[in-house]
Amino acid sequence: MNDRISALSGQALAIMIALALGAMVILAVSESPLKVFLTLMDGAFGNPERIAGTLLQTTPILICGVAACISLRGGLFNIGIEGQLFMGGFAATWVGFSFEMPPVLHVLAGLGFAAFAGLAWVAVPAFFRARYQTNEVVSTILANYVAVLITSYLTINIFKRAGGAPDTPPILESAYLPQLFSFSRANWGLVIGLLLAVGAHLFFTRTARGYAVTEMGANPKFAEYGGIDIKKQTFFLLLVSGAVGGLAGGIESLGVHHRFMEGFAPGFGFDGVIAALLANGNPLGTIITALFFGALRSGSLLLEVDTTASREIITVIQALIILAVSAQILVRRRAADSSAGERRWKF
Amino acid sequence: MEILERLFNVALIVATLRTTAPILLVALGGSFTTRAGIFNIGLEGQMLLGAFFAVIGTIFSGSPWIGLLCGVAAALALAFIFALLVVTFRANEVVVGLALNILAGGMTVSLLKAIFGTRGSIFGHGLVGLPVVRIPFAKEMGWFGQLISGYTPLVYVAFFAVPLFILFYNRTKLGLYIRVVGEKPEAAEALGISIAKIRYTASLLCGVLAGLAGAHLSLGYTTMFTENMSSGRGFMAVAILIFSAGDPKRILAGCLLFGFSDALSLRLQTFGVSSYLVLAVPYLVALVALFALSYRARPRIIQETLASMGRALQVKPQSAVEPPALAREP
Repeated sequence: MNDRISALSGQALAIMIALALGAMVILAVSESPLKVFLTLMDGAFGNPERIAGTLLQTTPILICGVAACISLRGGLFNIGIEGQLFMGGFAATWVGFSFEMPPVLHVLAGLGFAAFAGLAWVAVPAFFRARYQTNEVVSTILANYVAVLITSYLTINIFKRAGGAPDTPPILESAYLPQLFSFSRANWGLVIGLLLAVGAHLFFTRTARGYAVTEMGANPKFAEYGGIDIKKQTFFLLLVSGAVGGLAGGIESLGVHHRFMEGFAPGFGFDGVIAALLANGNPLGTIITALFFGALRSGSLLLEVDTTASREIITVIQALIILAVSAQILVRRRAADSSAGERRWKF
Repeated sequence: MEILERLFNVALIVATLRTTAPILLVALGGSFTTRAGIFNIGLEGQMLLGAFFAVIGTIFSGSPWIGLLCGVAAALALAFIFALLVVTFRANEVVVGLALNILAGGMTVSLLKAIFGTRGSIFGHGLVGLPVVRIPFAKEMGWFGQLISGYTPLVYVAFFAVPLFILFYNRTKLGLYIRVVGEKPEAAEALGISIAKIRYTASLLCGVLAGLAGAHLSLGYTTMFTENMSSGRGFMAVAILIFSAGDPKRILAGCLLFGFSDALSLRLQTFGVSSYLVLAVPYLVALVALFALSYRARPRIIQETLASMGRALQVKPQSAVEPPALAREP
């Protein structure tokens, strides 16, 4: 318990250091850090619409974060969530405008196909990671670029209406994911995200398979001696992670945009990975970190209007937080001087 | 036949050399860290920051050479943070590398807006690129002259660096130290080599080359800076490094493959193939190469390194660091 408290306070200290460094960066781009902070807070929580806006931004980050948690738990880095999100988003949109179905079924079909698209997109890197140990970090990152270009190709060259805007036809209303509030595009995807986080938590803590993959992430050799089929579990985990990533894209298209266009979801996949890392691969913790990053993102929209700073300043702050946390935990670990059994991805 | 003639000619080779140079520079930089046993996914960010500060330095000083130095210095700073966290604090190299990439991406866009008040890209503002090298008498040599003359200086640097790297790893003390640290850290410790010092050195050397690669992108390959202009070249370099295991000859082969696929696909664009598909070709080539080669190359490399280290260690510790033991190696 003491350990846990010191870990938490250490985490908090790291975030403070990162914010201080962030303030210096903000000064460097000649803005007042206090003004930026207040604008961010105002933009994220200033009124009900803005709070709903924060939830809107949190949803994809949370689902991508859960996807990242699933792979991280098994000691695997699925950095390709961004690409799976694009594939899933396009797949759901395609189901949304190509078929006529009754309302609920249409949404389910769209989300199901989105999850399948994400799964299919990660299948090849997952197979080679499981079978031949091909580095999944690089293969999934490279697959991101291909996914973005292929979905752009499909959107612009195949499905764009002549003379229309560079996006696909809108989805039918039967495929709309219902909204949570009348005044915002925040939708039931948030609830799906929360359920996924809780489900992933229960899977890792309450099931034999969940325990096995956690063991694999913590210490693959030991897990193998324990009779866990590493190849099979690796393949399985990456596929599930990819499917959740695809689902995130499906929810974005059916719940928010109702179509697919270029620059569909800039950086949600990466934000999800960072949120999961900050939560140390814990799905429940990811709810909090995703909310934090969602608030930053939502606040940054106002930042661009009210100050001269660019909204990318928040990605700088996010990166600084991760760097500070990665160094800080090590100070503690060095004191404990035990690297045995640590997870491969642990900071 | 006519189509083939339009596709394959001297101009294609020239284009290949041009597109190969930036990725070759960054991959050679990455060979330092790869050989020292560090998985450096942060190449992308170092390259991007190098490209940005090369442009900034050029605009404020008026000289592209000073810009080049600024780019290298910026990449070096990022490489130092990487080494500090990974080597000293033993943070996870993937996490740190990714965070530094994100940092570089956010920082360049933020600074772009703060300094120029614009988004997207900068050109003009008195920005000048590195001068083109015109080799004397190249005009009289026909197609061969066309092939060897008229590039910006860093293209030559990239290709001439390859033999230097082979010599470096096989004939110099530092090169051998880096390899020992990467392949058999225990042996390095037994020989009294400071692993931390060598890994810092490798990371910083890597930063210099990544900075040069970035400067080449913004001052040689093009004369502008665009958001995210490294566009995955750093990651492709990491893919090459994985299947080449940091060996300069294989790095050159891998980079030429990408350069060629890049140049060829850009040419396909003139035949009406969608630009989106054309742009995806280099990434697909990287993926296919990674998948196809990682299985086949891996066991052989492990065998080779074990064999060479065995040879190195059979000699007495003091003489093991002398080149002859390893000079015979292919």
